[in-house]
Amino acid sequence: MKFWEYLLKIDRRVVFLVVGLSVLIPLIFPFYIKTNVMPTTQKLFDTIEEIDPGAQGILIAADYDPQTMPELQPMFIVLLRHSFARRIPVLVMSSYMQGIGLAKQGLDQVAEEFNSRAKTNADSIIYGRDYVFLGFPPLWLAAVLRMGSDISQAFPADYYKNRTASLEMMKRIKNYNDIGIVVSIAGSGIPQSWVTYANTRFGVKVGSGATAVMAPDFYPFLQTGQMSGMIAGLKGASEYEYLVNTKYNLPGPTPATKGMGSQSIAHLTILLLVVIGNIGYFASRRRR
Amino acid sequence: MSHDPWVWIGAFLTIGIFSFLYKENPFYRFCEHLFVGVANGYAIAVTWHLVLTPRLIMPLQGGNYLVLIPMIIGILYFFRFIPRLSWLVRIPIAVALGFSSGVSIPAIIQADVIKQMQGTVVYPHLFANWQQGFWAILIFIGVIATIFFFFFSKEHKGILKPVSYIGIIFIMVGFGASFGYTVMARLSLLIGRLQFLFGIWLGLIK
Amino acid sequence: MQRKLPLMIVLVIGIAMLIQFFIPHKFSKDLYMNFLDWLGIIAAFALVLGLGSLINHHLDKIQRKRENWQYSWVTLIAIVITAIIGLFGGMEGKGPLPVQPQFILGNKLIVIKYSIQTIYDNVMTPLGGTMFALLAFFMASAAYRAFRARTFEATLLLVAAFIVMIGVVPIGYYISPKLPHLAQWIMDVPNTASKRGILFGVGLGIAATSLKIILGIERNWLGGK
Repeated sequence: MKFWEYLLKIDRRVVFLVVGLSVLIPLIFPFYIKTNVMPTTQKLFDTIEEIDPGAQGILIAADYDPQTMPELQPMFIVLLRHSFARRIPVLVMSSYMQGIGLAKQGLDQVAEEFNSRAKTNADSIIYGRDYVFLGFPPLWLAAVLRMGSDISQAFPADYYKNRTASLEMMKRIKNYNDIGIVVSIAGSGIPQSWVTYANTRFGVKVGSGATAVMAPDFYPFLQTGQMSGMIAGLKGASEYEYLVNTKYNLPGPTPATKGMGSQSIAHLTILLLVVIGNIGYFASRRRR
Repeated sequence: MSHDPWVWIGAFLTIGIFSFLYKENPFYRFCEHLFVGVANGYAIAVTWHLVLTPRLIMPLQGGNYLVLIPMIIGILYFFRFIPRLSWLVRIPIAVALGFSSGVSIPAIIQADVIKQMQGTVVYPHLFANWQQGFWAILIFIGVIATIFFFFFSKEHKGILKPVSYIGIIFIMVGFGASFGYTVMARLSLLIGRLQFLFGIWLGLIK
Repeated sequence: MQRKLPLMIVLVIGIAMLIQFFIPHKFSKDLYMNFLDWLGIIAAFALVLGLGSLINHHLDKIQRKRENWQYSWVTLIAIVITAIIGLFGGMEGKGPLPVQPQFILGNKLIVIKYSIQTIYDNVMTPLGGTMFALLAFFMASAAYRAFRARTFEATLLLVAAFIVMIGVVPIGYYISPKLPHLAQWIMDVPNTASKRGILFGVGLGIAATSLKIILGIERNWLGGK
């Protein structure tokens, strides 16, 4: 087989192996590359920095499931770290039934990180006072619209079956007027729906943590200001980790940042594969 | 290397799914069906504890019998399994559909049409920075050209042809950007799983 | 009656939801809030219906011995075991079923965890995450095999993809400091323009379809006779 014919017919399992190694080797032998922060990530960070913790809280909607967890869970965790570092009251919900477990995992991990360093009760992250896990709404749209008047009615009981209205934090966080920003972390178009129903009708700011697949679709909303910032993909998560750690110097694993070496090398590998395919294609066309 | 048996179970299930890359095999099929089963078993638990208990059981225990009305409407869903009365399932579907259709019309028009139109219009204040003004004109042209491309009620002849071709240019660049981001997304998912296998399970990643 | 009643319900509720958006009166708002609370309960039964349909499908597959029917047993057994652990163990593992039994073996304390959260963390998450991780390989193979610069438009797509792929990763800055800015410009200008054009069409389409459903012009959702 001629060389350029071979270029067109590399076995797909060889391609799989090359891609796998291009991701694995930089993970085992890591190298650090400084991240440049995209304007959309900076905007979300700045918007959360502007929230007055005594007056407003943050609602983080973990609208994803295990299928997109590797990309989105790091975003959820770093947003929690940022919110807890600023002592912003945090509400968490999940529009996906399969996402509740991930939200709980993240909350338990970050609360434990802060509580292991806390010296006093005031430093600690306490459920009901500093954060509330609302759980899952059976009809997302009804819950989003209901939260415009009363969050405790949209979620009568929290994940732990406490009456939501009885929790300390919920005595001052009643509805969207008491929420500084809703950040929807999703692998689908749900952030757009948050803009359509929550931002348009009630004026609450909406930010998003989007998979890289969905991120290009949200740029029209960023440009009009309907979305107040976006974390795009694993790279966005590493940028946010960088911003939070630069300002607050928080310990804890940073999987997004650790993955950037692999991301860089793997992208170059994919590029190379496309170039090889095109070289083979044009060379064989010329021969014909 | 991890000593937690659950981590080993997770690792073997991960390898089982990855085995599909070589070829489809019984181990992969087992993992696939296990996932469907566990996901639905989890859904049953969530539906009971987080949905039915706080919204139906607790209000009934508290003496609020008004919730029986939506409960009866919801139970109509189960008539799907009785062929003679299966038409009753249309009632709760109609309630949900009427609600979502009615609520969406003003919201979508406001968010996806009017606000986006406002974002496309080229205002004089944008030219305070000439670059910003120039890109605003480019966005305006791109939006109009894209809409023209998708207008299929008339053949793309005359003035429509060059305008829709400009639309194609913008769409191709947009889709190229989407593809670039899609590559990032898919690789990120692989990075996450390899971090689990080689980091948490085998302890090779520091 | 079988078709007229649901169509009337869609018409009445659709119009009510449409006009309440513009009515700030307290009576309208209170009625609307109660309706939202009731909808949550109705939607809960739709979830139960979905589960019932899945179980029905697999039981049917086993009964008729269709292809790969043996794996349906795996699904059904997994549903039953996970549901029992979840229902009786509780979401927090504090239910009547003990999901963290402990016993002494020799002089070691052995704790066996099998709560619903443990199963979620160690079975569902690896399986779900890995299924989508497979896409990375298939995407690479498809890009290698099918992504050809055959025409000017395809070349444009390819070039834009290359710039964005390199510009958005950290190494792009080291290849050229201008690359991230170029990638950001592609996202901010041509990408925004094309996505917005598509968004207009989709938004108007959704509004039109919703109106057709409310007015009973679109009736496919009724199904059957």
